[in-house]
Amino acid sequence: MSANQHSLLLDRGNLKRRNRFNKAVEITSTTAAVLAVVVLVIVVGSVFLKGVSALSWHFLTTPTALFGESGGGISNAIVGSAIMVAIAAVMAIPIGVLVAIYTTEFAPPSIAHPVRFVLDILNGVPTIITGIFVYGLIVVPQGHQSAFAASLALAIIMLPIVARTAQEVLTLVPGTLKEAAHALGIAQWRTTLRITIPTAAGGLITGSLLAVARVAGETAPLIFLSSIFGQGMLTAPGEALASIPIFIFRSSESPSSTAHTEAWAAALVLIAFVLALNIVARAFYARSRKRMGA
Amino acid sequence: MDVSKDTTESAAMTESSPDPQANPQTGSGFAGPSMAVAGSAGQGSVKRNRGEGTVELMGLNAYYGSTHAVRGVDLGFAADKVTAIIGPSGCGKSTMVRCINRMHEEIDGARAEGQVLLDGLDLYDSRIDIVAVRRAVGMVFQKPNPFPTMSVFDNAVSGLRLTGVSRGELDDRGREALVAAGLWEEVKDRLKAPGVGLSGGQQQRLCIARALAVEPEVLLMDEPCSALDPVATLKIEELIGELKQRVTIVIVTHNMQQAARVADTTVFMLDGELVEVGPTEKLFTTPDDDRTEQYVTGKFG
Amino acid sequence: MVTETRTQYQEELERLEASALDGLNLVSSALQRTLEAVEHQDVELAQIVVADDDRIDGRYLEVHQSLITLLATQSPVATDLRLISALLHVLKSVERMGDQCVNICKVIPLTGNEPPADREMVALILGMGKQTRALIGQAKRAFAERDVEMARDLVRQDDFVDDLNRECFRLALDLGDDADQREWAMTMLLAARAIERIADNAVDIGEQVAFVVTGLFREFEDASHPTT
Repeated sequence: MSANQHSLLLDRGNLKRRNRFNKAVEITSTTAAVLAVVVLVIVVGSVFLKGVSALSWHFLTTPTALFGESGGGISNAIVGSAIMVAIAAVMAIPIGVLVAIYTTEFAPPSIAHPVRFVLDILNGVPTIITGIFVYGLIVVPQGHQSAFAASLALAIIMLPIVARTAQEVLTLVPGTLKEAAHALGIAQWRTTLRITIPTAAGGLITGSLLAVARVAGETAPLIFLSSIFGQGMLTAPGEALASIPIFIFRSSESPSSTAHTEAWAAALVLIAFVLALNIVARAFYARSRKRMGA
Repeated sequence: MDVSKDTTESAAMTESSPDPQANPQTGSGFAGPSMAVAGSAGQGSVKRNRGEGTVELMGLNAYYGSTHAVRGVDLGFAADKVTAIIGPSGCGKSTMVRCINRMHEEIDGARAEGQVLLDGLDLYDSRIDIVAVRRAVGMVFQKPNPFPTMSVFDNAVSGLRLTGVSRGELDDRGREALVAAGLWEEVKDRLKAPGVGLSGGQQQRLCIARALAVEPEVLLMDEPCSALDPVATLKIEELIGELKQRVTIVIVTHNMQQAARVADTTVFMLDGELVEVGPTEKLFTTPDDDRTEQYVTGKFG
Repeated sequence: MVTETRTQYQEELERLEASALDGLNLVSSALQRTLEAVEHQDVELAQIVVADDDRIDGRYLEVHQSLITLLATQSPVATDLRLISALLHVLKSVERMGDQCVNICKVIPLTGNEPPADREMVALILGMGKQTRALIGQAKRAFAERDVEMARDLVRQDDFVDDLNRECFRLALDLGDDADQREWAMTMLLAARAIERIADNAVDIGEQVAFVVTGLFREFEDASHPTT
């Protein structure tokens, strides 16, 4: 090789500048990433530090004390939240998954695309508006709040999350599998049921869990739909039920410092639940990706 | 095709025809027909029990939207033979093959015209059940695609489960298919393990077993070795040689040496048209058409 | 759509064909010298021809090896495969033709310095040789040009060589009782026979031309057993 050719490899003067720019971009993006993690650590850390002192077995297993009394717990709120989220999940997950199956497996693109767009808009609707909508739909005609109404609002919030994640996962199922099934003479519905859904199962579970985690902490619609409830352990979905978000909301409004600590403790319970769901969801997602050879 | 069978039968006929009454009495006279029966029964146990498996394309045209992918092909595939289809990428060879099990029409905007006769029956007739077509004409794809949620055994019988085959029969048929695909010895101790845990070559043979389990008359193979290493490829080629006893095999391949090794008949296609069909050795030693000559000698492609 | 590929392989195949056919030039000049040696009873020239045969053998081995390599690495088919097969035959013929020249040259010393040569017979043998060299040239041209008609014509040309060979035989029978002269005639018959075989080999090459072009391999005529 001649010296001439080597000179092509030499610095043309902007090498230092390029290196500095590279460095700058690297440092800024790293800082942003660190910041995000720091925020999470501060939130979880402060909730933990402020709430852990009030957290006890008694706190988790006792219903909220009467107004003005101390020593109560959040068992009624946990049960109420669980009931409402469970009903919402039962409504939203099957419908969401079916919507996804329809758009990915059966609908022509001319229908699938608008459906996807509508789901995205639904996902963007502020939850307080969903709350007002259900309030007008159920609470006003019935004349009283109910856990069922809250569940319906939560289900409406969950639906686009479930459907969109399910769509993503179902489109990840390799076309070669469906092709193989068709070539074996397996009918379309059977292919969907026996091949596509089992293959995507992990991802479908992931989407559902994330949707559950998302609505477990949802507060705004509950204020309209299930915030005026009776004392003690209530379980009938026909009436308003206690919930963790409302408990946190109420306790933080209270002037008592004990109530504040209890609000932190309840927040800790909620955050732990959401974190746990996210971790489980990740595990399912990893399994699903492995299956689909991604 | 069944020349040997035909001749034994006709020999038996001529032998018995002079005096049909007397022949069963004499030991030697009986030997002819009984051997012919034994011969055909022995063949029947490994062979299909329904039709012959002869495929004939008549005036086949296939389109993707406005693209005319297969242009007026007339072509016959003999039973018990391996037919290889070669040609440059995009010449319509895969499309043509996918018309035989009507997989072509699965694609949006794709359609086919003309006739595909399986033992004389037009698969494009409006009364034909497409599911039955897929069962009579099996297919193996480029990349091994065992079902990831199923075990080795469940993969092998996945095509059978929908037909209400009894549990016990399922076991037999699955085993038989795995044996036929030359996989049984390798997987018999891990039938319950996931199918995707096998090596690439084993996965492809599992896909062949899956296709064989429903006892098709024709097996279409669309570049079945393109994702496999040379040793796995040779195993599949070996297997193809054995399988032609029981199914008519049509193999699309980019690998001309593979066509030369496995096929009895080779078809050369170019731009959607059939250029030349002939015995493999003829096509690779003295092709009639200049375009075939240029393609097989690698002067274009 | 038609894009040229495998140009290196095609060039290599062309080079090997040229090299194999050039072997015929080597044979032709070896035969030329052999004839001179016969004409002048030139023992030294005969020895040169014998030594020079190593070149023909070397060419045979070299091109043969390269063709085998091409078979192993390029998997030639169709015309290419027929050409390679034909070239292997041509090489074998070339090598045998060279050996026949050697055979002739080896018998020349046996006839002694002042042999009782018969002019007519020497002339016949030289005529055979000339005709055979023409055959070799024609075989080479027919192969290079893939001219089946020209290749077929080799059979007709070979018939003249065969006729001359029979003429030699007849002359030898009529040569009288002198023992020395009979012995000389015997060795000359061997030479005539060798030349006749060289011409047959040229016909064999012609058959290979037909194989390359048509893919059909059959002998033009049973040239190895001339009808007497």
